[in-house]
Amino acid sequence: MSYLNGTRLHFAGRFQANVSTVNNDPGHFDNAAFQPGYQQLQGPGMNPPNGWFNPEGDAAWRFLGCNVTSAWMNGQAVTTADPVLTFQIADSDSQAPAKLVDLDPEQQLVSTIWGLQVRIADASGNTLLLADFDPAGFIDIWDRATASSGGDADAGAMYQSVLTNLRWSNVASSPFLLALQAAASTGLLSIKFNVDSFNLSFNSPDFMTGRITGTIGPASAAEPRHLVIGRQFMAFASPPSPKINFFMPVGGINFCVAVVDTVASCIYLDLGNAIATGVGGALVNLGDLTLSVYNPLLSPPAPAGSLITIGTVAATGAGGYATDPDWYSRTAGVVAIPVSANLLPLVQQSVLLLSGNTGILITEPPSGAFVRADQFVYRMSPGDSVSIPFYAMQYGKPLRQVGISFVQDASGLQSQVGSGFPFVMDSPPVSTPPNSIAFAGAGSTDSNGVLNLTVTASDPGTPRNFGISPGNPIGDYGIDGQVYGIRASFSDVAQYGNNPVNPWNFVSFLVWSSFTSKVPNVPTWYDDVQPMFQQYANLYPVMNRFLNLGNYNDVLANVRLLQLAFGLDPSNPNSMPVTRDLSPAKRRTILAWLANPIAGTPPAARTTTRTANPSTASNPASMKTGGKAMAAARRLALQPR
Amino acid sequence: MIRLKRALVAGLAGPAPDPTAVISALQSAVELEHATIPLYLYALYSLNPAKNPAIVEIVQSVVIEEMLHMSLASNVLNALGGDSQIDQPGFIPFYPGPLPGGVESQLKVHLAPFSMAQLQTFLTIEQPEDPPVYPASVASDEITIGEFYAAISSALAALGDGAFANPPRNQIGPDLMPECVVVTDVASAQAALAIIVQQGEGTATSPEEGVGGQVAHYFRFMQIQEGALLVPAPGQTPPWSYTGAPVVFDPTGVYPVQTDPNVPPNAYGAGTIEAFANDNFNYTYTSFLFALDALLSGQNTDAQMNVALGLMMSLKGQAKAMMSGIPDSTVFTGPSFQYQTVNPAA
Repeated sequence: MSYLNGTRLHFAGRFQANVSTVNNDPGHFDNAAFQPGYQQLQGPGMNPPNGWFNPEGDAAWRFLGCNVTSAWMNGQAVTTADPVLTFQIADSDSQAPAKLVDLDPEQQLVSTIWGLQVRIADASGNTLLLADFDPAGFIDIWDRATASSGGDADAGAMYQSVLTNLRWSNVASSPFLLALQAAASTGLLSIKFNVDSFNLSFNSPDFMTGRITGTIGPASAAEPRHLVIGRQFMAFASPPSPKINFFMPVGGINFCVAVVDTVASCIYLDLGNAIATGVGGALVNLGDLTLSVYNPLLSPPAPAGSLITIGTVAATGAGGYATDPDWYSRTAGVVAIPVSANLLPLVQQSVLLLSGNTGILITEPPSGAFVRADQFVYRMSPGDSVSIPFYAMQYGKPLRQVGISFVQDASGLQSQVGSGFPFVMDSPPVSTPPNSIAFAGAGSTDSNGVLNLTVTASDPGTPRNFGISPGNPIGDYGIDGQVYGIRASFSDVAQYGNNPVNPWNFVSFLVWSSFTSKVPNVPTWYDDVQPMFQQYANLYPVMNRFLNLGNYNDVLANVRLLQLAFGLDPSNPNSMPVTRDLSPAKRRTILAWLANPIAGTPPAARTTTRTANPSTASNPASMKTGGKAMAAARRLALQPR
Repeated sequence: MIRLKRALVAGLAGPAPDPTAVISALQSAVELEHATIPLYLYALYSLNPAKNPAIVEIVQSVVIEEMLHMSLASNVLNALGGDSQIDQPGFIPFYPGPLPGGVESQLKVHLAPFSMAQLQTFLTIEQPEDPPVYPASVASDEITIGEFYAAISSALAALGDGAFANPPRNQIGPDLMPECVVVTDVASAQAALAIIVQQGEGTATSPEEGVGGQVAHYFRFMQIQEGALLVPAPGQTPPWSYTGAPVVFDPTGVYPVQTDPNVPPNAYGAGTIEAFANDNFNYTYTSFLFALDALLSGQNTDAQMNVALGLMMSLKGQAKAMMSGIPDSTVFTGPSFQYQTVNPAA
């Protein structure tokens, strides 16, 4: 049970993601080579090197003007007699704004929302439901806009999570909310939203905001929080091309999911992040989208047999997705397609296909089987073990006792070969040393279709320090730890296949380096704390509004606030560092130092300085617009090292 | 010196004051102490700290104490069994306008960037009585802030210790806010109000009346007027003078934000960069009032204090950005401090 349910609401509006961009360049983490200009807003052509498009960002993530656009109870549309249609979806009115944070400068494509409270509020802003959003990263980013303005502005992506800690006010005025409350007896709700049309123009009122449409419905405690146990439509990737930033589905429809409701005899299909957009964000007319099922049953891997139509999502006419300007905000892309009773048995055991105009096509994989981790972003210290649930499913049902294989896969991580504009130096290598995450290469799902993979982290050392050389074998303070990826697939390729591959379907890890102060348990400013704080001061100019984090006296004058901020749980929106990239070991060191802020001895002046080596070409190569597009272009998959 | 409406202290005189009237007067005190905060913050964050460091420090020190005063008044109110109301639409006064409870014809305050003219408003708000006269010797519809707090203080004594909740009820203690006073009886209540009076409004004329090592607000602001820090002048009359380190006002270190950004024609048009930043700020400010209301209504915990502090830091960051031309260095936006319970679309 998930948001794809007969009882659900849809909302639409805008969102803000005011991320800082100085940390988009891994080279900016090198304190010894950092230049003041790296904190400046980019100029024409991004030359000279600078702080990219929003160096002063404060990482705030907000809902802006999001209204409930429709609601459904047991498959029936809620009428205007229910005030829920005048309600709003808002973020917290009692704590600081949520934060959007990358995992790492070399894995910027799973940005996670932390500290978000979600409210359902009446038209006056009075809270009817207050809930906590379980932190979640985005997935399924693609080149959604066809009327391209370049880079990140073209992207679409989605977030799926659950709402926890539900605090209901009196919702008696709304039959829908009463029904939703009754359906949330597990204490959870499922939420999914689509984001696109992001604005990167600093002189626009829409700067660092984009469009959002979403759905809230019931959740089952037994099901994954960030994944639908459903029918997974899988797209093949168009070959790489300069015009493709993220992912372009061959059949014109992006990865999407559906759920079969056998009781209501219908299929809930989520096209919210699957249909491309044209001018002004309007959905492109891909033709009437016909949902069909193969008959007779397939014998994988070659689809065969005739197609039986289940139903159609009209492109045009009244309520057509491509012609009704309110369709997308009203539905968030979710449609309910009735299934005739005689088709239900077939639908539950054969491959579904969605097709439109010639060439517009997406299907389930030939086996109908799919496997993915629920949570796919992890931060670990040496010695930590995590148990990561992977869910296998086939035709929307748990796939029991099936073999799953796991391999390290760094192809989605981001480094670059050689020095490339606009990066100021070579990116440190990723995924090395390779043995700092350990896990079984294979396993089997249980009777619920779940395999809990235990991953254990060990100390990667400091492979991403800067200036490592024979004379400086440890190197200078750099990017903490190392990033890794793990990808799952079916062990029995003959039976289940593993194509198409969703490039975003892997688990990302940041494994922190071990850390002890130079004099154990007696950290000093110069030896231990200053390099960490200097790096944050460099990368987050927003800190300058409060203090110079690289300055001993400034830090001393703000000890109490720093103790507070560094002592908060990362789920707290005020937690420092906002980036959530500080290892527990370093956090303990900082807190110990704040309790006893010894200055220590200044280091000897550097005998050599390191300078960045940005491109000096007068006409640098054209670059992608935005942080996500630049990161995607640096994936190892595109740049074999 | 500003004048308040005498109606604020109605029902407080005599041997048996009406407890409801005392609570009502204390609610007015909370509103009055709060009302200076937007004014001072607007001036504070309009200043480029690199060019006006001394003035920034002075205004900042005053603003922090106004937050303390608001909490002190609330402590007294809550100790009497009342509930301070600060999460209400009408709690934030409209700027420009009189201070809450203020005599309308007397002083209209404006949200304005720092200037020597705006400093005059601050001096008027904080000007002490000279000499202090309690109670007013002349029948009038107006009272001074000193008289206002003196009337409350007398009423508290008349109510007696029995009127106060003990064990403490909904109190902000010094553990949560330095210098705050837990109110459980007449003496602690009068001590709390005395801090408000001594630190800020209505003190005697000597700057030495300040507590906590800081002189009263009026004298702190006078340092800007006089262009130098106040220092002791032993053996002289008076034994202090504005001859310390220079306090230089650099007019080029003031960001060109609007005066009265919530009044046409200065109000920000829908769909503008200014409106977007302003809406974000106002939503956060309203959230801060909600968090503060919770803190003062029984959630007097470290965790809730941290939530309020977090919102204050968020407000500070937002204000400093929007007022200093971030992200668009040609657009300077002063926050209008208006009640806003959701964040509208840009």
